Amino acid sequence: MTVRDILLQVGQVLTVLLLSPLIQGVIVKFEERVQRAQGPSVLQPYRDLWKLFHKRIVVPDTASPIHWLAPVVAFTCMLTVPILIPVLTDFPLPYSDMGDILGGGLILTLGSFMILLAGLDAGGAYGGIGSSRAVMVAILAEPTLILVFIGITLLAKAMLPFVVNHLLVGDPAVYFSPAHLFLVAAFFVLLLVETDRLPIHSNTHVEVYMIEEARVLEYSGPLLGLLKWASMMKQFILFTIFCNVLTLPWGLSHQGTALGALAAAAGLVVKFVLVGCAVVFVETVQSRLRFYRYQEPLAASFLLATLAIIATQLA
Amino acid sequence: MSFQTLPPILASIFSLLAIASLLLTFVMLGSRWLRNYLYAFAAESWLIAILSAAVGYFAGFPELYLIAILTAVFRGVVLPYLVWRIIRRLDVDREAHETLQPASALIIGALSVVFALLVARRVGGELGLVGTVAVLALTVMLSMKLIGFLMLSIRYEAISQVLGLLILENGIFLGAQVLVPGMPMLVEIVILFDLLVAVACFGVLVRYLSSAVGTTSSRELKRLVG
Repeated sequence: MTVRDILLQVGQVLTVLLLSPLIQGVIVKFEERVQRAQGPSVLQPYRDLWKLFHKRIVVPDTASPIHWLAPVVAFTCMLTVPILIPVLTDFPLPYSDMGDILGGGLILTLGSFMILLAGLDAGGAYGGIGSSRAVMVAILAEPTLILVFIGITLLAKAMLPFVVNHLLVGDPAVYFSPAHLFLVAAFFVLLLVETDRLPIHSNTHVEVYMIEEARVLEYSGPLLGLLKWASMMKQFILFTIFCNVLTLPWGLSHQGTALGALAAAAGLVVKFVLVGCAVVFVETVQSRLRFYRYQEPLAASFLLATLAIIATQLA
Repeated sequence: MSFQTLPPILASIFSLLAIASLLLTFVMLGSRWLRNYLYAFAAESWLIAILSAAVGYFAGFPELYLIAILTAVFRGVVLPYLVWRIIRRLDVDREAHETLQPASALIIGALSVVFALLVARRVGGELGLVGTVAVLALTVMLSMKLIGFLMLSIRYEAISQVLGLLILENGIFLGAQVLVPGMPMLVEIVILFDLLVAVACFGVLVRYLSSAVGTTSSRELKRLVG
């Protein structure tokens, strides 16, 4: 464990922390541009966070300590996951052997679970609706997530994201194998669901459609800032796993120099803009599904993951 | 012909084409709109045409080029056009009654693919089929047949049933391309023309159905007349 590796690991966490509002801003901007509107600046999420951190905290009378705990735990979880995955370098850094893909999934889910509890905690009607809907979506999405993880494991014969990355970079036959491409497609549907995008989540936050937003309605000030930042970081982390592990595994720092790490961060922004364009495309062509059709995209994703596993069995 | 000696990237491309056509079958299974069925069927036929051209090129069966062209023209253009004409004349554009929701149908389809894989492994082992592509082709063939049967049994519209039948046939054709690429050409041409006649007959029947019964859904065909 050298000083350089520790610095790189800190750099990975900082990249996620500092660039996550940017990618959110880019997606919002693109969406508005597609609709021929001007759209907010790509830096708007940073300004929003700045504003929230300078506001007073108002806590409901009915809130328990969970109200204070949840944003902190959620934020810490999102700071932990980047340690486990290849954000900047394609080799493991100190403490990245703490957990494999399932471990990372567990920590991500722990963050969502705390926000869920917080939604129920204050006893507001909207918080309850939001939490119950979010659990409903999670119940539908979880089997597919597990199947995708199993598919990745069968493909790479390992549960470490670094091994998958090396395999895909090194062997174009694996990259273009149906197993891998189906995993990419299945994960893309999950990505849309988990990052609060259409077709399940609404992009306008009207009470009737709210899922994720409804859970944090009781929050204000810095606590709300932490929650918003945590959800942007979750999006960034899922995009990182999607790009660096599955779809675009190239362009990571191989030797771990400062220049390489910077270039990898720049490359990450480019990749995310590409994925962001795909997300904007889906959000533009898709309308929101009604509640009783939520299972349809997730059933399709489940099917793709099943096909991927079958394809790995044949390879 | 042996698929053992294929370079891995070619094996990947072959499997990709086969599985992509299976995926298009699932598009048909998961959609409610008749037009989507048709587009998926046409695209699937084109994929099969590409696959047979690729098999012809890499395994050295020049007659497969002709088959590929015939497949693309007949299954990819003429048959969809005929069915499209039938759809245009009817005032039905979607499956109105569902016995099974598309989401559940997709899950059952996935299960049938798993079943097909198990059967294909067993059969492949018995027949001594070597190479993953051969087993994959057998799997895709069996699962397309199962899904075709599933579509025939859960859809009521006459058009959906025609297309279910066509999927069934496409599956057999795809399997034959890979498993027995040297199948006598005459047989394949006969099958193609057979299909043409079948679809034309279906067109006449559907028109008769809509004029005599007033609907093209087989839900209404409950009364016995004789």
